[in-house]
Amino acid sequence: MTVSTIPDTAPIANTATPDESVFTFWPRHNAAIYKALEDKHIHVEVDDDPLESRMILNLGPQHPATHGVLRCVIRLDGETIESCLLDIGYLHRGVEKLAEVKTFQEFMPYTDRMDYLQPYANNVAWCLAVEKLAGIEAPERAQWIRMMLCEIARIQAHLLWIGTMVMDAGALSVFLWTFKYREEIYNIMDEVAGARFTVSHSRIGGLATDISDEGMARIQAFVDEFEGQLEDWKKLLNRNRIWVDRNLGIGVLTADDVIELGFTGPNLRASGVNHDIRNFEPYLVYDLVDFDIPMRTEGDSLARYFVRVEEMVQSNRIIRQCLEHIPHVGGPIRVDDAKSTYASKDEVYYSMEGMIHDFMMTDTGVAPPKGAESYHAIEAAKGELGFHLISDGTGSPWRVKMNSPSFCNLQGLEYLIEGEMIADTVVLIGSIDPVMGDADK
Amino acid sequence: MSQEAQPMTDPGQEKQTLKFYFTPRQALAGELDQKNPHAKDSTFQPEVVEALGERFGDTITGVTEYASEHTVFVEKSAIVDVCRHLKEEMGYTYLSEMGTIDRFTEEDRFEVYYSLVNMQTQKRLRIKVRVDEEDPVVPSVVGVFRSANWHEREAWDMMGIRFEGHPDLRRMFMPEDFEYHPARKEFPTLGIPGSLPLPPLVSDGKLTLDPFPRAHGELPED
Repeated sequence: MTVSTIPDTAPIANTATPDESVFTFWPRHNAAIYKALEDKHIHVEVDDDPLESRMILNLGPQHPATHGVLRCVIRLDGETIESCLLDIGYLHRGVEKLAEVKTFQEFMPYTDRMDYLQPYANNVAWCLAVEKLAGIEAPERAQWIRMMLCEIARIQAHLLWIGTMVMDAGALSVFLWTFKYREEIYNIMDEVAGARFTVSHSRIGGLATDISDEGMARIQAFVDEFEGQLEDWKKLLNRNRIWVDRNLGIGVLTADDVIELGFTGPNLRASGVNHDIRNFEPYLVYDLVDFDIPMRTEGDSLARYFVRVEEMVQSNRIIRQCLEHIPHVGGPIRVDDAKSTYASKDEVYYSMEGMIHDFMMTDTGVAPPKGAESYHAIEAAKGELGFHLISDGTGSPWRVKMNSPSFCNLQGLEYLIEGEMIADTVVLIGSIDPVMGDADK
Repeated sequence: MSQEAQPMTDPGQEKQTLKFYFTPRQALAGELDQKNPHAKDSTFQPEVVEALGERFGDTITGVTEYASEHTVFVEKSAIVDVCRHLKEEMGYTYLSEMGTIDRFTEEDRFEVYYSLVNMQTQKRLRIKVRVDEEDPVVPSVVGVFRSANWHEREAWDMMGIRFEGHPDLRRMFMPEDFEYHPARKEFPTLGIPGSLPLPPLVSDGKLTLDPFPRAHGELPED
């Protein structure tokens, strides 16, 4: 076959890619390969670049390593990242706006879908924020159960993080093992809340249902098994040559950097800043349990790994204490005041007042005083998750402003990633642990 | 029955036969006197508020407290100085949160607040700026707190408040082609039809319509 036999209908190659006529051997095939290479990652050459080592790389938004729909536009010099811009908003649903036309309770299912790796903690964050605004205090038993399930949610989030993080570094097996335990947590949530994933179990002023003996038994079984499993994973990874090489000294942040860039959560504590909302502004009954806040000072990707793994150990410790304590805490699981929370189903089905109150709660709900404004944050798995609420005296919030940890962490990632190698991009995104549902609101 | 005691009617429903009466609650009975069960020590700091008042005088326009949270209102022009003073002299080095509020129909319509954390003394302070609707411009604090960067971009995107001196004030979530600021109260919850065309279905085709006209049977001409 010669060049002249190629029909006119053949696609005309881009001027930037070699023309078919250049090739003497399989011209169409070769031209197509070069064209595909050009289109695979869109890049733009910079003019004064004689060695042609600079290019712009577009990573995402649809890329499996970006943990959702994060788009990174990276300018490279050879293999070094010169500068990076993150483009977020591909999962923006405007939940803050939607909250303004819902009652406080109606908004709860939306919180499930914000940081979708730990729905329970989001529910509790929302309930606590509304309770602060309206001056309601949940009964002690509800607080213990909430705390225990929040810690399970933290393990749930960290399990997904460690699985995907190790997968980003090239090992698939840990992902499969951690998902086995996430599955266990789904089963626990199924028993406790009646839904496996988007639980919506918390209520303003307490909980929807009390925890069953079966639920307690499942949590106990999970904790017993998980502890040993975590030790095994640590044995696999802590001194693993490949894992350590991929993470040691990558993306180093000093204590000043993390404060300056507004990092939060484990990213903050891996750089030697001891800031944890559970300690800073104790909520629920965290001041009654015994736990440590893990902290490292190296500030690199490996330190962030160690902090998160140690957090899972500490969460396990808190859950054990809750399991011991909860059977001794009696009492209701919701405030016994039908003006500030849902009446119990017994009251609703067997008394007129109960039914009226149930309708009123559904229709209007809790009405905090006019002009009230408050902020309540919890320490979620990713960091400080807070809601800034303003009331206009009606049953729905006047303004909700959500302070989402992933948003704050991604802002820092934009700077953290600069100066690193292109091959470490994926590991760095993983080590910061963003969830786009959380960052995009 | 006096004029004041009449229940308020929703103005939009005055002509309807079945009227909906509502009473905005000023306060839950006896609640404001009690201590809020979720009040934290970290947000209650009268000394800092007093010190700020002495240092900045008239530029501090007011202080409020709800649920043991102190909020200091600052003149718009002084916000950068106050932030710098808090950061460099008083140890509030960490900007944990920043946001905007639309006080629709009120004088000085918008509010921008900054929540600063002092890691040493374990304290949190909120400072607030009020902005007029006619000139929604606030001096940027990116020069003081680098982490304000994205928060200010979000405020511009969602509420349409411009930050003077911001290095890169692009929209945060919405694309640059979008013309509205969705967190404002006048923006409809359902969105504005036609405000955000979608990419073409074929490589050299026209922009496709967004789901609103499409749902009503209007399809692109191609």
